Amino acid sequence: MPKHIVSGLKYLTAVELIREGYSQKEVAKILEMDRSTVSHYLNGRNLSWNSIEIAKKITEVCPKDFLILAYALMQDKARIVVKTCSVRDYKGIIKESCIGCGLCADICLMKAIVLNDLKAQIDSDWCCGCLICGESCPTNSIEILEVKNDF
Amino acid sequence: MISNTKEVKALDFEISRSAEEKRELLYKDDICIGCGICEKTCPVDAIELGSIGAIVRTGADVPKIVCDEDKCVLCGMCSVVCPVDALEFKIDDESIKDMDEYPQLINSAEINDDTCIYCKACETACPRDSITIARDLPDRSKLVTGEIEIDKETCIDCGICEEMCPADAITMEHKLPTPDDPTVSSDIIVDKDKCVYCLICKKSCPVSAIKAACRTCSYGEYDLNPEDYKTTGSSFIDHETCVKCGWCQEICPVDAATVVKTFDGELSIDQDTCQACGACVDICPCNVLSFPESTKAGKRPEKVMSDENYCIYCGACESVCPVKAIDVKRTGIKHTPTKSKSWEKQIESLKT
Amino acid sequence: MEMELKVNQDNCLGCGVCVVACPVNASISNEVAGGHGSKTTETIMMVENGFIKLFSPEKCTKCGTCQLFCPTDAIWLE
Repeated sequence: MPKHIVSGLKYLTAVELIREGYSQKEVAKILEMDRSTVSHYLNGRNLSWNSIEIAKKITEVCPKDFLILAYALMQDKARIVVKTCSVRDYKGIIKESCIGCGLCADICLMKAIVLNDLKAQIDSDWCCGCLICGESCPTNSIEILEVKNDF
Repeated sequence: MISNTKEVKALDFEISRSAEEKRELLYKDDICIGCGICEKTCPVDAIELGSIGAIVRTGADVPKIVCDEDKCVLCGMCSVVCPVDALEFKIDDESIKDMDEYPQLINSAEINDDTCIYCKACETACPRDSITIARDLPDRSKLVTGEIEIDKETCIDCGICEEMCPADAITMEHKLPTPDDPTVSSDIIVDKDKCVYCLICKKSCPVSAIKAACRTCSYGEYDLNPEDYKTTGSSFIDHETCVKCGWCQEICPVDAATVVKTFDGELSIDQDTCQACGACVDICPCNVLSFPESTKAGKRPEKVMSDENYCIYCGACESVCPVKAIDVKRTGIKHTPTKSKSWEKQIESLKT
Repeated sequence: MEMELKVNQDNCLGCGVCVVACPVNASISNEVAGGHGSKTTETIMMVENGFIKLFSPEKCTKCGTCQLFCPTDAIWLE
């Protein structure tokens, strides 16, 4: 079953990436898959609609659960899946109370945080809104806001 | 899950976290002065200063600070504010002292070897034994010149000159007399590198066998080259232990030592409250405090006196005083700039 | 790590040096400040029936003065 969910998630990611204008070759590279598998996915072959259905549901659960589930299933590859399939966009605001301890950068599964001049910086392209960083911040300096999605 | 690991070695500890980068905090207890500045600065209250008076005074086998590795977030602030190098902080094996984005306290102690005359006054005065002066003294023979000759025919091998010579420059080869050679010495040698031409031997010789003259006395210093009898050397300050207290600067007779202190401030002692227990005297890393001696019978001196010239305003005395008789005010802090508002705030909060 | 004040009455001579040397005691009691033994249980310790006894150890600031003066290691911090 986990394999099917992974396939489903990869399918959704592939479709979205193609929609964003990536070529099949590029998508294969990003998802570290065979080009033929990508092509099969996009033609609706080799995949049960059930898997896609479940995967779709997973992308709609709360961002933290989506990320943790995806990460448990595919570790670092979950980053691109979560980034691409996230329903909402987020932006992180770092308050001046940030001491630059780097705990958030270490803990962020999306690797969306870097330190710059003793202050954390969140890359909103990668932020999935899981709020894990904020939970670990010793000075409560992280605020994650949902950004209105125009699409 | 990402968590810190702690390694304790005797009284020292190392806390580290490895993920995106490797962060390490290293504590050396023998360098720690027990001032508690780290405890005051830690933004997550992970550091606790021990019973510093008892530890320092009774030599208890207990670390001066403890750091809760579950609370520590490895931000490095304690390392930056430590007046000595008791707390070192490294990111990916590089000290944050070498990183521009981290602020540093500004302080320094330097000895100018061009001016230094290697008198060692600073080495003796340094309360932390941080200074080493290595010096090369010139040969005595470069400071005096003269002539000395012993007439071995006249010499009766009595050994008086050998015993009298203040420079140990005369050696006799003592031996037992034999029928072949009925003398008590086979030779008498003068070491001209040691001889200072004081003429003691000449004057004490009972048979006037020694001819000696001091050329320096007779003709002045015409054949001495001042370059040959210079004391040379080098100075070394151990910056890990140096507290930048200013003793070396104050005591140096030729102004070769320069000290810049981090804090400006004021130290005051309430003589009425003080019970003269001496805890502050024992803990002060800079020998600022002392018990004065009575100057006159019946006259009561101050209980504890201080010389603020040497004070670094670390506050160790204030926190150790059992009756709160000491007040250490820090009015200014010199540090390099930082773009981080929270770091700036935390460092500035050391002002009282 | 806070240390704790301990006494061992088996070693105690009852000399009272610690009572008088303790800077906190002297700031609490006029008798102690004047060089006499304590007459109040407000002080950290006092000699009772010839032995040292802790009365208000919570007032101890762990300066170590008592330990430095005690001739028989009967009072110490650990």
